Amino acid sequence: MTKTQTYTDLLRQRLTRINSGIFLSIILLFFISPNVFAKDISEKLKDSVVYLQVAYYGYEQYQPWKNVELSEGFAVGCAVDDNKVITIASSVANAAFLQARKADRNDYIPAKIVTLDYESNLALIELDSNSLGSDLLKPLKFNEKYVKGASLAFYWLSANGQMYNGRGFLDRVEVSGSSIFYSNTLTFVAAGISESTNLGQLYCLNDKPIGIASLSGKDKEADIVPAEVINRFLDDAKDGQYNGIAMKGFVTSTLIDPAMRKYLKIPNDIHDGVYVADVFTIGTGSDVLKQGDVLLAVDDFAISPYGRYQHKKFGSLLFDNLITAKTAGEEITFEVWRDGKRQRLEAKTKRFAAADMLVPWYEFDTQPEYAVIGGCIFQKMTKSYLTGRGDDWQGKVEPHLYNYLVNDAFKPTPQRTDIVLLSYCMPANINIGYHQLSQLVVDKINGMKIRDMSDIPAAIASKPESKFIVIEFEMDKPAIVLDRGQLEAAGNSISQIYGIGKLMNINK
Amino acid sequence: MKIKLFILIVIAGSCIAKPDLKKSVVMIQIVQQPFDYTTPWKQTSISQGVGSGFIIEGKRILTNAHNVADSRYLIVKKENFAKKFPAVVEFVGHDCDLAIINVQDTTFFEGTEPLTIGGLPQVNSTVETYGFPMGGTHLSVTQGIVSRIQTDIYSHSGADGHLVVQTDAAINPGNSGGPVMMDSNVVGVAFQGMTKAENIGYMIPTTVINHFLADINDGKYDGFGSLGINIFDGLHNESYKEYLGLPADVQGVVVTSVMLNSSAENVLQRNDCITQIDNYDIDNDGMIVIYGQKYSLSEGIETKQIGEIVDVVFWRDGKKQSAKLKVQLNRPVFEFARLYDVQPPYVCFAGLTFVSASRNFLETWGREWVRDIPHMLRYLMMDSQTLNTERDRKEYVVLSQILPDQINLYDGDFVNRPLESINGKTVMSLADVRREFKNKDLDFYVLKFMGSEIPLLLDAKQAHQQNDAILKKYNVPAWTYPEESL
Repeated sequence: MTKTQTYTDLLRQRLTRINSGIFLSIILLFFISPNVFAKDISEKLKDSVVYLQVAYYGYEQYQPWKNVELSEGFAVGCAVDDNKVITIASSVANAAFLQARKADRNDYIPAKIVTLDYESNLALIELDSNSLGSDLLKPLKFNEKYVKGASLAFYWLSANGQMYNGRGFLDRVEVSGSSIFYSNTLTFVAAGISESTNLGQLYCLNDKPIGIASLSGKDKEADIVPAEVINRFLDDAKDGQYNGIAMKGFVTSTLIDPAMRKYLKIPNDIHDGVYVADVFTIGTGSDVLKQGDVLLAVDDFAISPYGRYQHKKFGSLLFDNLITAKTAGEEITFEVWRDGKRQRLEAKTKRFAAADMLVPWYEFDTQPEYAVIGGCIFQKMTKSYLTGRGDDWQGKVEPHLYNYLVNDAFKPTPQRTDIVLLSYCMPANINIGYHQLSQLVVDKINGMKIRDMSDIPAAIASKPESKFIVIEFEMDKPAIVLDRGQLEAAGNSISQIYGIGKLMNINK
Repeated sequence: MKIKLFILIVIAGSCIAKPDLKKSVVMIQIVQQPFDYTTPWKQTSISQGVGSGFIIEGKRILTNAHNVADSRYLIVKKENFAKKFPAVVEFVGHDCDLAIINVQDTTFFEGTEPLTIGGLPQVNSTVETYGFPMGGTHLSVTQGIVSRIQTDIYSHSGADGHLVVQTDAAINPGNSGGPVMMDSNVVGVAFQGMTKAENIGYMIPTTVINHFLADINDGKYDGFGSLGINIFDGLHNESYKEYLGLPADVQGVVVTSVMLNSSAENVLQRNDCITQIDNYDIDNDGMIVIYGQKYSLSEGIETKQIGEIVDVVFWRDGKKQSAKLKVQLNRPVFEFARLYDVQPPYVCFAGLTFVSASRNFLETWGREWVRDIPHMLRYLMMDSQTLNTERDRKEYVVLSQILPDQINLYDGDFVNRPLESINGKTVMSLADVRREFKNKDLDFYVLKFMGSEIPLLLDAKQAHQQNDAILKKYNVPAWTYPEESL
C-alpha cells in the first residue's frame, strides 16, 4: 500500500480479498464436506418409507366410560424389516386402527403395533403380510453416526403417495425427554429445518439413516430419536420379549456449593459427584442408593458436579444416558460417597411402566379405571387426569392432589399403589347431600385402607352386616355414607339416567 | 278517613327530626404506604386517596378500615368548611373493615351532629348512601333499596366473613366509610361493590358495627372470634344422619375437624353433629334463625365478644350432649387475611431473607397469585389447618429473597420455599430462626425446606463474619425486625 492510494482503492482491494476468500471457501466446502449439499434420495427410499394412517379412539378423562370423538392422524413409518416399520410411540398412542400406504401402491395395508415403548418413544409396527404380498419393504439400517453441524435431509411419504423431503443441520446432541414421558434419552437436535417434523420422519446424514423425528417443543428445531436408541429398541424387540430401557429411580441435584461439599466431608481432591436428593421405590438405583449419597461415578464414568459425564463420541452428556442407554436387567455400577467414604454399589437396571407409578404420568391404549358407586365416581389419579383441567392446570388442581404428583409419583409402596379419587358425584337420590364433594383422595371404604382401584369392590363388599357403605377421605373431608340396600337399584337407575354402560372398569 | 290517615302520616313523619347529614358526614384524605413483604424493611410507593366517614357519639369518626390502612398521614374535612384537620387512627378492625379516627383539634366537632346507629334494615326497604365518591367534591347522596342480607367475605381482609347488606344504591370509590341511612338512623357503612355487576353495592350492617364498638369499649380491639371447628353444612343424606346416630327429625352440621389450641379441642370431635348454639336451632344447611331471618350459624357466634361463652348442643354416638365453648380468635397458622399497619417481621442473615408466610407475601406474585405461587406455598395456604400438627407453631417461615453474596451464591433454588428446620430443629416461627442463627458454636447451619430433601448449607463462621458487610451493602437497617442483637 502506498500513500497515493485513495480510500476507494483501499475499499475495492479489501472487497476483492473478501470475495476471493468466499470463493475459496466454497471450493473447499465442495471437496471437504460433500454433505453440505445432501442429495435427494427420495426415489431410493420409496420402498422403505410408508405413510401410516392412525385412527385414535381414546377415553374421556372425566367420564371414562365414554370414548372421545374418533379422530385421525398420520405418522411416518421407516422399514426395519420386510414387513415391519418403526415410528414414534407418541404418534400411535391410543390408536384404535392402523393402516399403511406404500409409495407405489394405491391401497392401504392393515397394520398392527408389535412393540411399543413410550420411554424410548418408539413403536414397532407390522404390516399385514397377506395384503403386502410379494411387494416387500426394503429395510433400512440406522447408522450410529454423529457429525456436529452436518447437513441433514429428512423424508416422509404423504397420503397421496408422494415422497417429500426437507433440509436442516445437525446442531447438537443432548439427553432429554418430552413433557409427556419420564425418561431422558439420547436425542439429536436438528436446527434450521425447512419444515417442522415430529411424526417419525426419516432423518439422513450423508444419505444414511441416522434417526427419526420425535416430539419437540422447541422453536424451529426438531428432536431426533437417534440410531443408538433405535438399534437398542430393535435388538430388544427381536426375540419378542421386550424388556425396555432402564429407567432412573432417583433424583440428583448439582453439588457445586463448597459449603455443601465441606459439610459432606468430600475430600478436596475429589471434584466429581452429584447429590442424591431423592430415591424412589421403583427404577434403577432405587434398591441401592440412599438419599444423601453423593454419586461419583456410574459404570466408572465420573459424574461432574453438574451431573454430566464425558461420552467418547458425543462429549459432555447428562449422566441419565448411562442408565437409559441400557436395557432393563443389565448390570450397573454406582460409585458413591457415603458415610465419609467411597463405596461401590452393584445393581441391576430396572424399568417401570407408567401404570406402576403411584401417579402415572400418562395412560394410553387403555380405558381409565373407574368405579361408579351410588353415583359417586371413583377414579385412579393420573397426570393425564390432572392435566385435563386445562391451561395452567398446575395452579387449578387441588394442592393436596398436586402434591402427590410432584412429591410421591414415583413412590408406590406395597400399602399403596394408586391414589384413588372421588372425582365427583352424579346427582341421584342415594347421594343427596354429597353433590358438592369432588376431587377428594379416598382413604378408607368400610374401614379398609384403599391400596388401589382393585380394592374398591372388596371394600364395598366388606362388613355385609352393616347397613351402610362408609367412604372416608383424606384431609378431614366429610365422609360419604350410602345405604347398602339401595346401592344396586340406585346403580341401575344411575346407569340408565346417565347412560353409563358399565358401572365399573378395574383392570387388575 | 283515608285523608286523615294521610295527614297523620305526614305529621308523624315531620315529627322525626331528620339529621342534616352535612353536619355529620366527613371527607377523609389519606396518604398510604404499605410495606414490602418480600423486602420487609422497605415500604412500597406512596398513594393518596379519599374516603368518607361520619361522626358518632363521643366525638369520634367511624369509617372503613381500608380508608386508613397503612396510613402515613390523615386529614378530615367537613362539608362547606375549608379547614383541613389532621386526624389519627384510634381503633381499627381490619377483619370487619371498620375504624375509629379522632381529631385532636376539638373545634372540628363544633357545629357537627353525631349520628345514631340503628338496626338491621328489612329487605326491600329504601336506604340512602352519603359520602364523597368520585365525580365531585361535595357530599353526595344516592338512594336505593336493600336487595338482600347474607354472610359474605369482606374484601379488605380477603378472608373474614360477616353479614353484609346488599343495596342497589350506587356505591362508588370514595363512598367507602360513609353512612347508609334509613329513618334518620345509620343502618350501615358503605364499604364495597361488585366490579363486574351493575348497581351491586354492599354495606356493613349495624350488627357488625355494634360488635366493633362494643369490642373497643375496653380500650383495645380484639376482633371477631370463632369456636375453632370446621364443619360440613350439608347433612341432607338420611343414611349419613342414621350412621351418625341422629334421630330423623334432628338437623345440624357435622364437625369435620377441630383446630389445635381452640376451646373446642378435647370437647368436640370429628363426626359430632352440632344441633344448637345458644338456643338457636341449626338446620342441615348450617343456618339459624337470627334477627328474624335465616343466616349462617356463624352469626350466632358473632354476637359474642372474644372470651364470652357459647352453649353448644351436639350429638355423639346417638346421644345428645352439651358443652360450653369459649369464643377465641383462632387464627390459622398460615394467616389468610391481609395484614395492615404493622411492619412485617423478618430475619436477614448472610443475605438470606426470611419472612412469615402471609397473604401479603403471596400477593406479590400479582393478580393471578393463587395460580402462580409455588406449589408448597399454595398447599400450606389452603390446607395448613390439616397439614400442621405442631401445637406450638406460630407461623410458616419462607425464604423470601437472597441478597447475593459469595456466601450464598449457590442458594438461589431455595427462594420462596417454606423452611422446615435448621440443624434438625423444626422452625415454627421467625423467633426460632433468630435463635438458631444466634448459636455461633457450630460449623454449619443446615437448613431444610418443606417438600425437598436438599439442604441449604451455610458455613457458620463465614456467615457471621460477612453478615454485617452484606447488611451494609444492601442498606438493610438491621439483621432482624423486631431488632435483637445477633
